[in-house]
Amino acid sequence: MTAAAADSGLWSEAELAKFRRMTLIWGITVLLLLPILALLGYFMRLYQSGAFSGMRAEWFYAVLTLHSLGMVGTWFVGSMAGVSYLLLKYTRPNLAVSKFVYVGTLLGVVLLIACTLGGLFGTGWYFLYPLPLFAQGVWAPWATFTFFAALTILGVCWTIWTLDLLRAVAQRYSLGAALGWNYLVGKPGPELPPLVLITTVSLIVSLSGFVAAVIVIALFAARALGVNVDPLLMKNLTFFFGHDLVNITMYLGIAMVYELLPSYAGRPWRTNRTVAIAWGAVLFLVMFAFFHHLYMDFAQPTWIQKLGQICSYLLAMPAGVVSIFGTLALVFAARMKWTLSSTFFFLGILGWGIGGIAAVIDSTVEVNFHFHNTLWVPAHFHTYYLMGVVLIILGFIDHAGKELSGLEEKPALSKLTTALLLIGGYGFLFMFYWGGVNSVPRRYAIYPQEVIQGTLYARIAVGFITLLLLGILLYLWETGRRCLKALA
Amino acid sequence: MIQMHAFYIFLIAAGLLIAAFLYVALSTRNAREINMQSAYGLRKLLFFVVLAVLVLGIGMTLGKTPYPKANELPGKVVFVVGKQFSFALSDTPITNDQDYEARTYGIPVQVPAGSLTEFRVMSFDVNHSFAVYSPDDHLLAQTQAMPGYVNRLRVRFDQPGRYYVLCLELCGMGHHRMRGVFDVN
Repeated sequence: MTAAAADSGLWSEAELAKFRRMTLIWGITVLLLLPILALLGYFMRLYQSGAFSGMRAEWFYAVLTLHSLGMVGTWFVGSMAGVSYLLLKYTRPNLAVSKFVYVGTLLGVVLLIACTLGGLFGTGWYFLYPLPLFAQGVWAPWATFTFFAALTILGVCWTIWTLDLLRAVAQRYSLGAALGWNYLVGKPGPELPPLVLITTVSLIVSLSGFVAAVIVIALFAARALGVNVDPLLMKNLTFFFGHDLVNITMYLGIAMVYELLPSYAGRPWRTNRTVAIAWGAVLFLVMFAFFHHLYMDFAQPTWIQKLGQICSYLLAMPAGVVSIFGTLALVFAARMKWTLSSTFFFLGILGWGIGGIAAVIDSTVEVNFHFHNTLWVPAHFHTYYLMGVVLIILGFIDHAGKELSGLEEKPALSKLTTALLLIGGYGFLFMFYWGGVNSVPRRYAIYPQEVIQGTLYARIAVGFITLLLLGILLYLWETGRRCLKALA
Repeated sequence: MIQMHAFYIFLIAAGLLIAAFLYVALSTRNAREINMQSAYGLRKLLFFVVLAVLVLGIGMTLGKTPYPKANELPGKVVFVVGKQFSFALSDTPITNDQDYEARTYGIPVQVPAGSLTEFRVMSFDVNHSFAVYSPDDHLLAQTQAMPGYVNRLRVRFDQPGRYYVLCLELCGMGHHRMRGVFDVN
């Protein structure tokens, strides 16, 4: 990839070296955050299993908030850093922006740690209006203020990063060309790498999500000044933002697979009319699919709820038929170079698909009536996150680490790592799914008598998470070593 | 139980996907050139199959939403207020904190079996979720309890017994302790 970037004529060798270094710093930061945030998740399942009966439940909810925001943020910046690196071949992202965003992200993370672990701020990632203002004496006003300061810093930095990548794309491609419109109408135009197409779609969605987040934060500030705010509007804005952020992280991961998997399969993966239509459809449908988060808000007009289900279902088409089928067609009977990276890309698309199936099922209003806010929800989003985009980003970091350090992998260790991640990961997820089927609520520190089976499921999950953590440690040992050598 | 049906559908669909990935992964042991035109033909077929399944799914489920229907009248109305960290249920409207306190610790509301019951659910503070659990601990129905809005949840209970209400929307440190209760007889 770096050779291709050097050959593109867009960069001098010195500029490329600096960008590679920045990518490694992002990668190593993600690798440092991963075990910490995973341990927070481990703590939560241990807490639910009754291992910390003497500890106040406030700690569980504060850790829940840090774990969820931390994970979503980590994989968002991981995917953005990965895509920035891969875009070097085609265009010129700004290195100074990447550095600025890095510093801002670190500051935001420190503030989030301070308000959650230091101030016990425990509203969950979605800080659903007006919960942050009803602390019940658990968290102080400074913690609320710090939380919103952190979100503002992160939001500003990530918006700037998004705008910079869009600027870089726009320098080479017009909007129509970057969205593949010439493929749609069958007119000749510049060849568009799928990476650029998917990144453009994702960044446009991302910007709309950040605008919603800005409005939410502004309305919280207005409420603090005594202005009446509509809770249903706030809920719509919050889930529009949250749904977008999670989805674009996955899409950016898919973009990386489109760019890198062909080099392992020895076959090209080009944009064509079908791919352009698929990602154009994603751009439209993802804007309305978020309504499925509000099915249980009966005050929302029924036609909006039905629109949410239709868009959520149809969103499976471009993903399922084009990207997943494209992956299978690319790999089928190919002279595949199976490495840790390519295995993770392949398995990541599988995880994305499995999580997607569970998500589509849950996006059925009739089903959601029985699954909403049960463990089925973390089951499906952990599937397409942990076994989907996280694997893809870890695959990318491993790919970049090998490329930049020249250190080869040990196949036996890679197989062991993959086996531990698969067994530990899917075992851990199965207990979530089974909990959802058995009506166990999500986000419960302690399970009451009516759903006491949740305690047993948490205990079993802890065993699987132990295997998962071992797999993560093995991965970190190998990939971290390569990244550090490349950085030195 | 609808949860179990959904689980079976999930297992079958996920199983098919895993089988496809396994088949493709194993195919790389016998590497060869493939005809992309036939692959595109397969994609077209898959497109129509997946589309047909999704349209069928929408057609079978979209009419079964739990939202109140205008042509249906409830036989019983129960007023519900959620507040950190309990639910109050009452036969009469709950308009202030005194009503809420009295109904939180009062005698459970009685609901007739077989009759369509409407729960008018609201919140005095933050978002909660009013989730009804059957006597054998299955999640039967739910709606959000939101400040400023009344959500109308209609359920017909066939099985007599004591029903529990849990909160499924994170509402603070006592979220997992929040509950309500009513009897069906």
